[in-house]
Amino acid sequence: MAFLKILLDNLRKGPATEAFPFGEATTPDAYRGKVTFDETSCVGCNMCEHVCAGGAIRFSEKEDGLHFLIWHNTCISCGLCAHYCPTKAIKLSNNWHLSHLQEEKYEQVDHAVVPYRECTSCGKRLQPGGPMLHQLAFKGANPRSERLMNMCPDCRRKVSYIGEAV
Amino acid sequence: MDFLSKAARKSPWLYRINAGSCNGCDVELATTACIPRYDVERLGCQYCGSPKHADIVLITGPLTARVKDKVLRVYDEIPDPKVTVAIGVCPISGGVFRESYAIEGPIDRYLPVDVNVPGCPPRPQAIIEGIAKAIEIWAKRA
Repeated sequence: MAFLKILLDNLRKGPATEAFPFGEATTPDAYRGKVTFDETSCVGCNMCEHVCAGGAIRFSEKEDGLHFLIWHNTCISCGLCAHYCPTKAIKLSNNWHLSHLQEEKYEQVDHAVVPYRECTSCGKRLQPGGPMLHQLAFKGANPRSERLMNMCPDCRRKVSYIGEAV
Repeated sequence: MDFLSKAARKSPWLYRINAGSCNGCDVELATTACIPRYDVERLGCQYCGSPKHADIVLITGPLTARVKDKVLRVYDEIPDPKVTVAIGVCPISGGVFRESYAIEGPIDRYLPVDVNVPGCPPRPQAIIEGIAKAIEIWAKRA
């Protein structure tokens, strides 16, 4: 008669079936889904492009900045890009709603531009470090490091070694 | 006959084609159908064993050179109208096998695909979402 207890338990618990697609589906926070990219913290090291198993990420240098492209239809959600990103600019969200009609196949792309800046001292074009790298490298804001951050490597060297004369 | 076509609109049968998949997506497809937690048969569809009974075709795998002719032959056996769903990144773009000498895909070079479900593999809920989209298309075509 043990089955009666199981029967009652099952009646009380209700169906085990998830309501989706008629209701919300449960998704773990750590689920690896669609890649998100934050161009304000990207430092342009290209490591994500290098480690990308499917070759879904592409960087290209253009006049206005570093162009970032990700093809979600090639991404295998392995998470290597997020693992190797030094500033955590690239992350995997738990959004798995990626299914689409064939007409939208070539729209499954995210594009972002990491703009170049000019050196505050000599005006040369430079790849900005961003506040996230600043935080990582100097463990907090400090006026001197912030000033150096916006300079090109040459001017930075001059200011660091020769002094503030530049 | 009118009654039959009305009934067919509500109960499309699913058929799987493995076009050289690693089996990851096939496991997820089996999970989607066989585990009560996901239970794709709530949507009125069920898996069938013969291509001649199929309405919605689920294709996994990057279409390897070796399996290409067989896949196209099986696909031709499925009666029209049919809805084709590409499951996983492999049939959509080639995934990690893209540009390999052994790969003939992406699959839309040879077959008319209707719905894409990317993922490596896509989770069962994502597959159900894709099948729901395919059923909408099927309702218009049947």
